[in-house]
Amino acid sequence: MEKIKQNALVQKVGFNRIVLIFVLLLMYLMFGLLTGGAFFGFSRIANALNYAYFLGFLSLGVTFVIATGGIDFSIGPVMFCCALVSGYSLTMYGVPMVISLVMSVLIGVLFGTFNGYLVAYWNVPPFIVSMASMNIAKGIAAVFTKTQSVSWPQSSTEDGWYRNFVSVNGFPIGLIVFLLVAVVCAVVLNQTKWGRYILCLGSNEEAVRLSGVNVKRWKMLAYIICGTLVGIASIYFVAAYTTVQPGYGDQYNNEAIAGCVMGGTSMVGGLASISGTVIGVFIISLLQQGILALGFTKEYQYIITGLIVIAAVYADVSARRRKN
Amino acid sequence: MGEVILTMKDIDKSFPGVHALDHVDLEVRKGEVLALMGENGAGKSTLMKVLTGIYKKDSGTITYEGKEVEFKNTREAQDAGIVIVHQELNMLGHLTVAQNLFIGREFKKGIRIDDKKMNEEAKKLFDRLNVNIDPKETMSNLTVGKQQMCEIAKAVSFDAKVIIFDEPSAALTESEIEEMFKIIRDLKKKDIAMVYISHRMDEIKVITDRVTVMRDGTYVGTLITEECTKEDIINMMVGRVIYEDPKTESAVPKDAPVVLKVEHLNAGKMVQDVSFELRKGEILGFSGLMGAGRTETARALFGADPKEGGDIYVNGTKVTINTPQDAVDCGLGYLSEDRKRYGIVVQKTVAQNTSMAFMKNFMKGIFIDKKKEKDVAREYVDALATKTPSVEQLVVNLSGGNQQKVVVAKWLARNSDILIFDEPTRGIDVGAKNEIYKLMNKLVAEGKSIIMISSEMTEILRMSDRIVVMCEGKKTGELDIAEATQESIMNLATREIA
Repeated sequence: MEKIKQNALVQKVGFNRIVLIFVLLLMYLMFGLLTGGAFFGFSRIANALNYAYFLGFLSLGVTFVIATGGIDFSIGPVMFCCALVSGYSLTMYGVPMVISLVMSVLIGVLFGTFNGYLVAYWNVPPFIVSMASMNIAKGIAAVFTKTQSVSWPQSSTEDGWYRNFVSVNGFPIGLIVFLLVAVVCAVVLNQTKWGRYILCLGSNEEAVRLSGVNVKRWKMLAYIICGTLVGIASIYFVAAYTTVQPGYGDQYNNEAIAGCVMGGTSMVGGLASISGTVIGVFIISLLQQGILALGFTKEYQYIITGLIVIAAVYADVSARRRKN
Repeated sequence: MGEVILTMKDIDKSFPGVHALDHVDLEVRKGEVLALMGENGAGKSTLMKVLTGIYKKDSGTITYEGKEVEFKNTREAQDAGIVIVHQELNMLGHLTVAQNLFIGREFKKGIRIDDKKMNEEAKKLFDRLNVNIDPKETMSNLTVGKQQMCEIAKAVSFDAKVIIFDEPSAALTESEIEEMFKIIRDLKKKDIAMVYISHRMDEIKVITDRVTVMRDGTYVGTLITEECTKEDIINMMVGRVIYEDPKTESAVPKDAPVVLKVEHLNAGKMVQDVSFELRKGEILGFSGLMGAGRTETARALFGADPKEGGDIYVNGTKVTINTPQDAVDCGLGYLSEDRKRYGIVVQKTVAQNTSMAFMKNFMKGIFIDKKKEKDVAREYVDALATKTPSVEQLVVNLSGGNQQKVVVAKWLARNSDILIFDEPTRGIDVGAKNEIYKLMNKLVAEGKSIIMISSEMTEILRMSDRIVVMCEGKKTGELDIAEATQESIMNLATREIA
């Protein structure tokens, strides 16, 4: 085992990520065999993926926040708020499609800025801030839509082109966009000043502050990046499902955070891996599909993702303890 | 000499990549104080952690009271009578003294905690140790010294037969240390064996009976304290002779320009109306006892904590410093006494820590120029003789002295001209200490100016050109190195303030 870990290629890719990829493949095989082969096949995978991209964007977003040592429990409901408010404007007030999509992202940015400002400048704990803004997002969405669910246009309609973001005639455009955005995120996190400061302050905020760095600004930025990605996630949500109902969205928090921590991003901040998050998200959505394919209901999947979060965080905590 | 109570033989312990303990022996006798000495990283703490069950040894035997033992955790060691008094105090500030002493084993009356009985028991304990502390007092109201006494009392209350002191004097004033020594002498009479870990040579000479020296995870030897000199011990620790000559006169010309002038600085109780000047190429020592307000002065000056008033002039120009950012822009750099918390980001590399204060100098467009970052870091690793396998090593893997050098590199990379060294050698071994001194002398020779806060008298007298002495938040005096003596400094540091 030690020998494998010392291998140059393994070190480059990262041992944990290789393990994760194996887990992913194993799960795929397992589900495939359990369902008697029904699970295999390109169209099946591509179809399943369509419903996973939004989760991917949420996970990428929350990775930045967790990298600072913070947490955001508002991502799911905020995503719903984006989709509901802009979707309601589209269907009831005749706002053009392009503007609605832009609105979706902007609402995400607004919430990110709000969360980030309170956390960074007012020193309100991120847990509290995001819990509160989760409810605010739900409330705004419900008030704005008069608690009606919103149906975005179907593919056949004139405005249905937005659904092409996910796939065109079975070609997974969404996968390409998602991977591109992930690459951008990885570059931001590892190659730019933004990412450097976000990771450093997640590791030791006081030392960074005493180095003359405006830590508040960079901390807020992490939440804004998260909000932006939540906005994008909302577009991918409606492009896959078209219908959104006010009052929901919390269940995706857990799944997004699970994808993130499973990929090796540490809940105490300072360590984050975008590629890990990407693989983590794939594992979560595969699990989701697998559970459904085996004939269980969605609720089982909540239980399992909940347990995964605990297991992943426990693994991180105990790895740290061993190091010390 | 008393009989042997504890023997550690052939103790071996490896961590991935490090052979932390290489067949180490240790022998402690009843009623003696055994000094355990060695540079940082020599393996003292690891050895004590193996003894008390925090680490599991790879091989070797521990014999305690004639039986071979292997404790699984500190609790087991405690129950057997082996207790550590830690350098950091593990006290809950908002509880009373008695509640702290008996935490985890409170006396109960039914399901209620019996505070009255705990106070009585604590009183008995303190009487036995001749310590005057009110058990009902809230812990945070005690001085650090008294809190340390409580730690010792707590150790004794476990019916300890072996007490390990891990740098117990680090935060104590001279008189508090004296008081602690009184207790230690008392415990000796009660036949308790003690292991005393400290870097302070004078204390070793005063309080210990034998000295066991470790170096690089190996056992070097044991000396009878009375029969050896300070130099003997140091030679065993480092394998070389160290000279500690005090400076006799200032190296700074009288007409050197003033680079920093602070007037009437105020920040809470700990910084009251402090004024001083710093000249180019000067090392200005800040002396005083623990809690004199030196660190607070530095932090207020640097913008790390808010200040209530005061004017600051850099190179003759009045500046506003409200945040560390302002201070850094003015050319100030602050090296905290607590490197791990305030100086470095341990989970990042040497290179990343070096560039941290001056990121904009390491950018190529929107991207970080990692090549330049590493090149510059390498330059400073060479210039400061930092011991690290590469600049991509995580700082957490470096020793204290080398971590300190990384912090220095950070400020040099930022072109800071005024450096505040707050206890620059705390927790650093003798060899690395000398390197830090050399480095500071080199920096001032190159035209940088240094404010050095230090609690070590020898350090103050050896390094400073001028000395500012503080006491209870006020500046009580300023001495030129030519006229400064230990006595004159101590006099100012303990002066009664009306």
